[in-house]
Amino acid sequence: MVQRELMAILEVFFFPGFLFLFSLAFFIEWFDRKLVAKFQNRYGPLYVGPKGILQPIADFLKLLSKEDITPAMADKVPFALIPLLMLTFSMTPLFCIPITGSSALISFEGDLIVVMFIMTLTALLSFLGAWVSTNRFSTIGGVRTGLQMFGYEVPLNIVMIGPAIGAGSLSISGIVEWQSRGVWFIMTQILGFAVFSLCLLAHLQRVPFDIPEAETEIVAGWLVEFSGKKLALIRLAKNFELVLAASLMVSLYLGGPTGTLLPNPLTFLIKLVFCTFILSNLRALFARYRIDQFLAAAWKYLIPLALLQISLVEVSLW
Amino acid sequence: MVKAIDIPFGPQHPALEEPINFTFEVEEERVVDVKIRLGYIHRGIEKLAENRTYHQNVYLVERICGICSFAHTTCYTQAVEELLGVDIPERAKYIRTIFCEMERIQNHYLWLGFTAKAMGFETLFMYTWRDREAMLEVLEMISGKRVNYGMNTIGGVRRDITGKMVERMEERLNYLEERANYYKKVCTKERSILKRTVGVGMLEPSDALNLCAVGPTLRASGIPQDVRADEPYAAYGEIPFRVVTYDGCDVASRILVRIDEIIESVKMIRRALDGMPQGPIRVKVPKNVPKGEAVSLVEAPRGEDLHYLRSDGSDRPARLKVRAPTLANLPSLRKMLKGVNIADIPIVIAGIDPCLACMERVILVDTKSKKGQAWSGEELWRYANEWYRES
Repeated sequence: MVQRELMAILEVFFFPGFLFLFSLAFFIEWFDRKLVAKFQNRYGPLYVGPKGILQPIADFLKLLSKEDITPAMADKVPFALIPLLMLTFSMTPLFCIPITGSSALISFEGDLIVVMFIMTLTALLSFLGAWVSTNRFSTIGGVRTGLQMFGYEVPLNIVMIGPAIGAGSLSISGIVEWQSRGVWFIMTQILGFAVFSLCLLAHLQRVPFDIPEAETEIVAGWLVEFSGKKLALIRLAKNFELVLAASLMVSLYLGGPTGTLLPNPLTFLIKLVFCTFILSNLRALFARYRIDQFLAAAWKYLIPLALLQISLVEVSLW
Repeated sequence: MVKAIDIPFGPQHPALEEPINFTFEVEEERVVDVKIRLGYIHRGIEKLAENRTYHQNVYLVERICGICSFAHTTCYTQAVEELLGVDIPERAKYIRTIFCEMERIQNHYLWLGFTAKAMGFETLFMYTWRDREAMLEVLEMISGKRVNYGMNTIGGVRRDITGKMVERMEERLNYLEERANYYKKVCTKERSILKRTVGVGMLEPSDALNLCAVGPTLRASGIPQDVRADEPYAAYGEIPFRVVTYDGCDVASRILVRIDEIIESVKMIRRALDGMPQGPIRVKVPKNVPKGEAVSLVEAPRGEDLHYLRSDGSDRPARLKVRAPTLANLPSLRKMLKGVNIADIPIVIAGIDPCLACMERVILVDTKSKKGQAWSGEELWRYANEWYRES
């Protein structure tokens, strides 16, 4: 009995819990930075640790020690709470992702819906963060975050339902379980996978959809007033969002941690790195879109394609 | 109806390399009106020039601009040579032409990267700046420096281009031409670039003429005006070249004009290297300059550069006036910015290739009476030297 509780605690705190997720977040940030640097003919992180692998941690610690400024006009309590909430909200869904086997730490029928809900909340939080910091640049950034959400949210959620219909389960673990029998959803729903990746780029606010943060246009958009510890937490939260995005791609479309001869966590990691590669690759390829262009493209192309994918799934099941 | 709000842009902003302040009056996402405020980095170079000899001023003038330093020295030395009545050797003219064009190439590569960054295309930014190094390497090989070359002197140039250097230059020029062709392909095919540049920051040809736009900004509005062709200086009269124009009147055309100018410059350098006569590279000139006035024009990478020089017969100029190209482009920039989307502001500003420190002007305004006031040299000196001591 005691042993089982101890195991549960170990799972939550070490593997595949907090410690593992933190290291994963920093590792994925390093991988992303290094990869984009390679695409752009630069070195990327180089000095801290072998090949600069510890650079994200160094950056995090550095930011923690920086001066933390709260603007005089800001709404103090929400302004301080938002970074914490963002971190929590971007980390929580990761516990629903199966890493060691086909079942996750937390898994119940309907956790896919919860993950969708929490992902929406993080977007709303960034809008709120912009609003309470009362800066003109952040207000524009916040409005852009909101507008962008109207564009990507609908197709994102539609295509996330695709694998659920295919597997007949609303739980991520259930979807992975179904795929472990041999057929990955990327084989049957390649269109959905493409739409899903594009929507995730928009959700993560990365080039070409980094419209809410657009450095050269509105400085840092909704992030502009956050500094020191708050910025460190938000950046960490963004890393977790990247991990979450990649691991959702893995779980929903690439069969999760199963399907190869390697041990499960290793399989998961390899697939995760592959998905991060896709997301980083897209980031290095384009110029930034304008918000009206993004919205037009989302409603003209992404949503019809997402609907088409769902209809195809329905038809094939029938 | 949404009330218009004012958005400050600068003097410190990630999209700006140098301090300048724009106040945008914005309705929803559209810019309705722009106010431009200058004067953050005025350095008083014109005043400084009056205290130095003509030879010392070559080095001062070189520091007006970090990027088009050679255009400024060429312009200045030409004015002095005109006053002196000196004809510089043919070889020196060719070397000046070659340097002018190499400077244009490195400036346009720099600008292309800067514009790419303004539209959020970091990869293009990194690539162009990497390729620019090829040009800087050549400049360093010949002159010993990467930006302020110290090549020009009154009566010619200070360093010669030798046979070995020519070989290395050929190799680098081939590379730069190939890359320029590649970027031309990227900028005409890549959809995300086209989406951000086509039809953005329009400047109609009539407006461009009325507002006295210069350089690539003017040529992107379809008007073939270029000092090199209209009033040839150095060896431009002897080297055939095409004045590049595009008639899109938008940022896309400004990009294409500059890329085509890179390709054209490469060809011009090749022709100049082929036809370069042998002989001395400089002539000795007297220290004192006879009384008189001279105006000199040069096509700097950013457009027409003008130096006016008045001499009172001593070894120091009585007045030097510099009109850098960016100042001539500011009125058209204001025109271009009206009606654009907030998201397009950086790319439209980048489109004129602003170089602010070169063109800085200052006027002192009494805030109570709202009157501008001209200061005498003595007052300026006192302000510069005693203001800090007093406060």
